[in-house]
Amino acid sequence: MRVFLGIDLGSTTTKAVILDPEGEVLGHGITNSRSNYEVASRIAREEARVQARFGLVRAALARDPALAGAGERFLPLMERRFRLRQHLAQLERLRAALHEAADDPRHRDRRSELDGLVERIVDEMARRARKHFGGLAVRKSDFFRDLAAADFMQLAERESDPKGIGFEEITALFDKAILPVENSPGEVPLERRIGEALDDALETAGPSLAEGAARLRAAVEAARSILLDESATVGTGYGRQRLPFPKEMVRSEILCHGLGAHILFPGTRTVLDIGGQDTKAIQVDADGIVGSFQMNDRCAAGCGRYLGYIADEMNLGVHELGPLAEQSTCRVKINSTCTVFAGAELRERLSLGQRREDILAGLHRAIVLRAMSLLARSGGISEEFTFTGGVARNPAAVAALEELVRENYGERTLNISPESIYTGALGAAWFARRSERLAA
Amino acid sequence: MTDDLVTAGVDVGSSAVKVAVLRSPDDRSAEVLALRADRIRRRDLKKVIGEAYPLALEEAGVAAADVAYAASTGEGELVEFRRGHFYGMTTHARGAVFLLPAARAVLDVGALHARAMRIDARSRVLAYRMTSQCASGSGQFLENVARYLGVTLEDVGPLSCKARRPEPVSSICAVLAETDVINMVSRGIQTADILKGIHESMAGRYVKLLRAIGAEGDVLVTGGLAADAGLAEAMREKVAEDGLTMSVHTHPHSIYAGALGAALWGAFRHRALERRGASRPDAPHPAEPERSATVG
Repeated sequence: MRVFLGIDLGSTTTKAVILDPEGEVLGHGITNSRSNYEVASRIAREEARVQARFGLVRAALARDPALAGAGERFLPLMERRFRLRQHLAQLERLRAALHEAADDPRHRDRRSELDGLVERIVDEMARRARKHFGGLAVRKSDFFRDLAAADFMQLAERESDPKGIGFEEITALFDKAILPVENSPGEVPLERRIGEALDDALETAGPSLAEGAARLRAAVEAARSILLDESATVGTGYGRQRLPFPKEMVRSEILCHGLGAHILFPGTRTVLDIGGQDTKAIQVDADGIVGSFQMNDRCAAGCGRYLGYIADEMNLGVHELGPLAEQSTCRVKINSTCTVFAGAELRERLSLGQRREDILAGLHRAIVLRAMSLLARSGGISEEFTFTGGVARNPAAVAALEELVRENYGERTLNISPESIYTGALGAAWFARRSERLAA
Repeated sequence: MTDDLVTAGVDVGSSAVKVAVLRSPDDRSAEVLALRADRIRRRDLKKVIGEAYPLALEEAGVAAADVAYAASTGEGELVEFRRGHFYGMTTHARGAVFLLPAARAVLDVGALHARAMRIDARSRVLAYRMTSQCASGSGQFLENVARYLGVTLEDVGPLSCKARRPEPVSSICAVLAETDVINMVSRGIQTADILKGIHESMAGRYVKLLRAIGAEGDVLVTGGLAADAGLAEAMREKVAEDGLTMSVHTHPHSIYAGALGAALWGAFRHRALERRGASRPDAPHPAEPERSATVG
């Protein structure tokens, strides 16, 4: 099958979308961005291909009436086994990197102590991993870096001894070790792990499947062997200039977000994208072509990174913030503009006993207020209004936006797609598909 | 020896808790018994303080009951055992004069703010200026960058000093500059050159701050970033480049300036209270120490 790939290399996350020749989305992939852009885009692409594969498997199982019911139960199990395998493989790479970080002259005196500590911590992390990827588990994040960091910090605090190996010495090991783990691709391509996950899942669910197991395996194997031939790839996003693509296959974020929003919601005329490190207000025409736009300037206040920073401060996952803020009963007005200062203000208010829900509600309103002024400068909000980017998944930000739009512009249709974080990558994939058509 | 006082200062910053324990025979001199700094790194602040203080006392070889006056400075509300609190500017000024008696200006570079003060020989603050409500070029920013580069904080300075071609930092926002740094790494720029570029941009801001208050002569850098040799070197280069009559110093104990200052003011206030025969807790604070100070 000929497919088209769009990659959006953002400051926080790198996203990939795979389209089929008809422009239908086959798969999405996302990973956290890192200093090696090639690895980040490669992983996002592999993740999208894996999701496309799982989609093909799902379709194949649905086509076989004998498997329909079993498939629905089996597929989620297989996906969990896949994630667990992937996570454990990365944990082993982290273990090796931690030992390497401990191999430093400054640790000479307690090398063996540190090595033992690394073993204990990583063994416990592996035990926890099985819980993270259990049936009903809710994870703070799906990225290895975040999951591993949260577990590691907690265990480091438990293992640390103010008189022996201190908390800081242990965490310094992690800071050093996570970089090589993130910036080199794993040895096993992700798609191959699907086969391993299939074996794992069959072993677990095998007895209950009885003779269905063979049919299931055959269906999965058939879907796995479909060729996904990437005919064209277009890159966009903050890091697009560094993507290993020819120049003509790179498009600006503004163009990709405008087109992506138009594909998701054809009636779109105004787009607000709150991404990791910039916020864009874009006006588009009936074909998704950009008329005017405004971007925020060199300040993290008002971007997704603002909330990311706050989440880090509170030791929460960024997607936990919105639901917490929604429980606010009395919104606090945040005085700081600067992200770092808002973080300090948050800590100060918390230590004074203010409720974190109320503080968070104030922080969400602050970020949306910044976006409102950007929208006004770009030409206001026309019908229909589409909100994209990672922050569009945050219910508290959406509620704050709805309130402020109504106050300032009256009733507007507000479009938000569950896949809004992929808007830029979707636009890029459409550009890839168009380029192929033009060339033909 | 009846006047020999043991006092403690606890400086709660936004990134580390510093404790100083002193023995002072009079208001003019003091002997350092113990110094301790613990980084917070998102741990519970009360817990960090609660652990650091007894360990510092243990190191000093004194019992909590022997401490005549425990003073807090910085964000000191959480120091539950404190007897009094002193404002950060006065403690840094006092600590600076203790560490470097010739100092006539102090640059306190902490995690969030940088503060320049012009002081006299008695550590009175004559003029001051702080960075604005934006964390660009702050200690927190440098710490984030170091973490992203996989460099421990103690390595930042030595690495920066080895830079050959410092890379100018274009972004000014502390949070977005992190992504700028990632960009630089992916462009193959050396870690040392990135750090030096950051130090140069910080030095530019700090020297401007010192000029604004008319600082001259000996300047002591205090706060957490004083330990960063790369920053001090960049500041000296900037001072030379601008042809200013300032000489920038750091002290191995610079990071404890606030805690030392608090312990010294604590001893001073304790004696003042004793002289007044006030053995009761000094709930209503006397006037700000720098105005009533007679410490020389």
